[in-house]
Amino acid sequence: MAIQKISFSATINGQKVGPMDLPEDLMAVELLQEYLNLTGTRLTCGQGVCRACTIIVEGENGPRTVPACITGISWLNGRSIRTIEGIAGKDGDGKPVPSAVQQAFLEHFAFQCSYCTPGFVNAGTVLVETLERAPIPAAQVEARILDALDANICRCTGYVRYYQALRDVILNTPGLTTDDAQETALNTAEKA
Amino acid sequence: MRPTDLSRRQFLATAAALGVIATVRPIGQAQAAMMPSPVGQDAGWFADGKLRYRRDGMAKVTGSKVFAVDMRARDLDGWPDEQSHAMTIHIPRADRVYEGLDLSVLEADGLMPDLLIDAARAEADGLHMPDPDFYGEFFLKPGTLPPMLGQPVAIGIWHDYERFRAARSLIRFNEGIFRFGAEAEQPARAPYGAAQYVRVGGDDPRGEDVFSPMKDLVVWPSTSPAGVAWPGPDDPAFGAAIGHSQAIRDGIENPPQGITVFKRHYSSQSIEHCTMEPENGNGWYDAATGTLHVIGATQSPYSAAAHILHLVQSSRFGLNKLDFVTGYTVGYGQKEHQSFPNYVALAALYGDGRPVRLVLDRWQHFQFALKRHPFETDLSISVDAEGRFQAFICDMIGDGGGVMNFSPSVGTVAVTAAQSVYYFPKSDLKAEVHPSIGVTAGSMRGYGTLQSMAATEMLVDEIADEIGRDPIALRRLNVIGSGMKNTQGAVPSGQMRIDEILALAEQEPLWTDRASRKAEYEAANPGMLYGVGFGSVQKDFGTGAEAAVVSLEISPEGRLSMRHVASEIGAGATTAQMLVTEPFLGRPADEVEFSVQNWPQMPLETEDQPYTTSQEDEDRLAQNPHWVPRFTSPRSASNSAYYFTHATQQAAQLLLRLGLWKAALSIWGGGPAGGQMLPEPVRVEDARWQDGMLTARSLEPLSLERLAARAHRDGLVTGVCVHTFNRWAWTEADFDLDGDRFSAVIDALSVKWGDGATAAQKSRMTDGGFAFIPRSAVRYPPVQRNNAGTVYYAPCATMVELAVSSGSGEVTILSHKTWLECGTQIVPELVSGQLEGGVAMGIGHALYEELPPGADGPGNGTWNFSRYHLPRASEVAVWTQQGHVLPALSDNDPPKGMAEVVMIPVAAACANAIAAATGHRFNRFPISADRIQEVL
Repeated sequence: MAIQKISFSATINGQKVGPMDLPEDLMAVELLQEYLNLTGTRLTCGQGVCRACTIIVEGENGPRTVPACITGISWLNGRSIRTIEGIAGKDGDGKPVPSAVQQAFLEHFAFQCSYCTPGFVNAGTVLVETLERAPIPAAQVEARILDALDANICRCTGYVRYYQALRDVILNTPGLTTDDAQETALNTAEKA
Repeated sequence: MRPTDLSRRQFLATAAALGVIATVRPIGQAQAAMMPSPVGQDAGWFADGKLRYRRDGMAKVTGSKVFAVDMRARDLDGWPDEQSHAMTIHIPRADRVYEGLDLSVLEADGLMPDLLIDAARAEADGLHMPDPDFYGEFFLKPGTLPPMLGQPVAIGIWHDYERFRAARSLIRFNEGIFRFGAEAEQPARAPYGAAQYVRVGGDDPRGEDVFSPMKDLVVWPSTSPAGVAWPGPDDPAFGAAIGHSQAIRDGIENPPQGITVFKRHYSSQSIEHCTMEPENGNGWYDAATGTLHVIGATQSPYSAAAHILHLVQSSRFGLNKLDFVTGYTVGYGQKEHQSFPNYVALAALYGDGRPVRLVLDRWQHFQFALKRHPFETDLSISVDAEGRFQAFICDMIGDGGGVMNFSPSVGTVAVTAAQSVYYFPKSDLKAEVHPSIGVTAGSMRGYGTLQSMAATEMLVDEIADEIGRDPIALRRLNVIGSGMKNTQGAVPSGQMRIDEILALAEQEPLWTDRASRKAEYEAANPGMLYGVGFGSVQKDFGTGAEAAVVSLEISPEGRLSMRHVASEIGAGATTAQMLVTEPFLGRPADEVEFSVQNWPQMPLETEDQPYTTSQEDEDRLAQNPHWVPRFTSPRSASNSAYYFTHATQQAAQLLLRLGLWKAALSIWGGGPAGGQMLPEPVRVEDARWQDGMLTARSLEPLSLERLAARAHRDGLVTGVCVHTFNRWAWTEADFDLDGDRFSAVIDALSVKWGDGATAAQKSRMTDGGFAFIPRSAVRYPPVQRNNAGTVYYAPCATMVELAVSSGSGEVTILSHKTWLECGTQIVPELVSGQLEGGVAMGIGHALYEELPPGADGPGNGTWNFSRYHLPRASEVAVWTQQGHVLPALSDNDPPKGMAEVVMIPVAAACANAIAAATGHRFNRFPISADRIQEVL
């Protein structure tokens, strides 16, 4: 069995990649780490369970998350992908400008060792972008976060600060919930 | 005794003896030569006098290279770009003789490794595992019976990634690559360790003991393949202890009138710690210069580096220099004194000039990374008619897996924690840890105490039920009070505040209303059984030989620089240590270097034998002012908050007292008439920092910049480097600094004078720019305190509300609340993050996680997260949990190590809540849905 190859091209973090001749059974996490030196996508289980390697794939119906450890490049061929390295912006000095989700994770002290953090950032980012297109009532936010991120495993944190941070982002970003701003603020105050 | 780490001095002495230049450095420093370190570039973490986020937060949240596993050859300056890839091959069974490896499956496609290292090759090249009793042998030899599942038989190296990954796909899960011979029985092996702690208290819990380990001795029996030879009452060394032991056990077997005995057996399972970063490393051997470069993921870098030196020393490979680099952070809890860095170094030697990367995939990580010890525990508590505990017996037998590692000390720490939060007038605690064919068990979060204390908390809950007492009220009746002895006969440090926690828990509506809530919930949710459970523990922190080094310097412009031995394992130690200076110097450190391994400012000597040096020898050695019992401690045992903070505080206090305060007096007292200070009786004790300015009484507030400028102008002390040591008490020493005599809670001091230093002062600053100030006297805690086991405790309790499906046995945690006392919180957000994470881990232990012993265990290479269930957010009541941290006793109540204790009470609370829900007591963890279903 010789190593079968395919010609691979994609858009990763807004940049064209390829064409590259790559093993056809190569997984996305291998592409990112071993060929592109994008090591922020972290490999843990290699079987799509823990979601530490979550990346974002753009689609006609909006972005979606996939586990990069079991997502083959043959499926990704020609697609547009975002990884953790493409989430933050950059200021005039080239320093990172964190996204709203990243900023909330920072301010909530959401992570510890941080190995799983890129997966949570990407899952949270997709949830926020999904809600931009289809907002939900504020009362449903907690359940929606749980639904969107429950597959992401973290051994350090107990998840609480990741979830609270994301709830803050969603409730305090206009347009993500169907409640008006005043009602949202009241709900938040009541919870506090 | 907790994990030990080689000191820098010992490491360098080892290197010098081998004629090798050796360095250990953090990865940020290594990267700095080529690229900006991802940590430390962001200044936004602290602004306007407030902590905004973790110091390393921006690097971590943007996915920067902060782990060793992130690094590739091309990331490191001076390394060749070509990266080779290595793979360990692990034996999946231990019931047949291993006859050799058959990789013919790789031949047809040209996928054979470019190089294969097996036992014969390593032997021929003179490569042997350092300290094999502790770490095991490198490779299983053909013709031998595997002593454990998961033992490596070889390392393959491929010089290109694509052939490597193709070969891996053919080797993984392929038992056909191993040639096996005849079936064979495992030979008997000696236990890894055993110990017994007997205490008979006097009439006063705070008075003299009749017998105790602290006052007398610990029983250390001999071991052999026949087992543990426990001494008898006639034993010349241990007879007295055994006599007391027999009396206690007779009292349990034949209780007098009015005494009731409760005896139960508990089982705690093996678990996988599941550090998300797998075991990994990258190494490059440059034969031309005899330099070995290794990047390793470890919590004990000095030991890892020293072992690599020994490993190469006796081999055919020349070694002139070892450069050992650690990750900025490390997936923590599982990388303490593990053997894996030795395999990384071994593979690097065979790279043929190329860097070699060795990473375990998750199946292999399950197969080979250290595990939590399972214990079988027999507990007995005798109780009088009032409900007061009289005697306590705990017999623990642990499974240490294939290699000894830290099994002996895990056993002793486990059993000496078994008393939980109670005072027992008499106690007899025995621990044995035995070998097995399982994966090696080692140092895990909790270090054996989860297994012992959770069992005690389950038994106490059951006793309360049996004698008709409220479980929390029974705990309060028997709780250990301040000044009372622990089961080793040592008096715990400070006020015991567990009763404050119990008093709060007793009033919690969840507790007081639990009967009515159960009725309401079960009526509203047919088929569900409701219960509330409680657990309370107190956990030691530290190793009994804690050493730290810190330096602080102030620049003429008022910039405060810190260098610290602390390294980051994720818990936030680096952020916290930077903030510790604020109460003493008005603000956090402006610049900082962590994981500092090079300390020319502190020219010390040590044998690093803090547990075994005799009192006579220590008294003699301590006369040398350069001698200390240990140089640094590894990152483990929840040791940063208390022990490292103490060192930082001492450095900050001395920088104030010896330098900045004198600068302030110079400013306030300036002028011919004694200045503004003359009318005020000012002492250093009056120093206060207000809004970053130093004041005292009514004197003019002074900025740090102004103080620094004056201190430098006048040649006052502008830099301090301290070394500290704790053996369940702090070391104090006296110093004479140019006529200024003072004592400090340190054992070594160096200082640096400012720009205006005299010529004489400048001539003394020869130790890395500092002047070592020999102590005139030192008071080390007596070596007998090694027997204390511990005296530093952090108390914690958790209450769990859950529902059990009577059909499926599945448990749903509805809510939980945890109370914690940890002294002063340096960063409350980091404390609560540890609390939340610990509770989740405890829930996993209680309900979900389990690795079976024997042939079906993780050593067979088939385990991963698909069959090992880690708790998800939906299973830890992520939206309905609460944490309550007791306020500190005072403004100088020290912070306590709390990262381990928070994991423990929830395990017992879950068990007790399930008992309240179902009416059945489960004494085996995990209490899985299957086990519940069997009973229901």
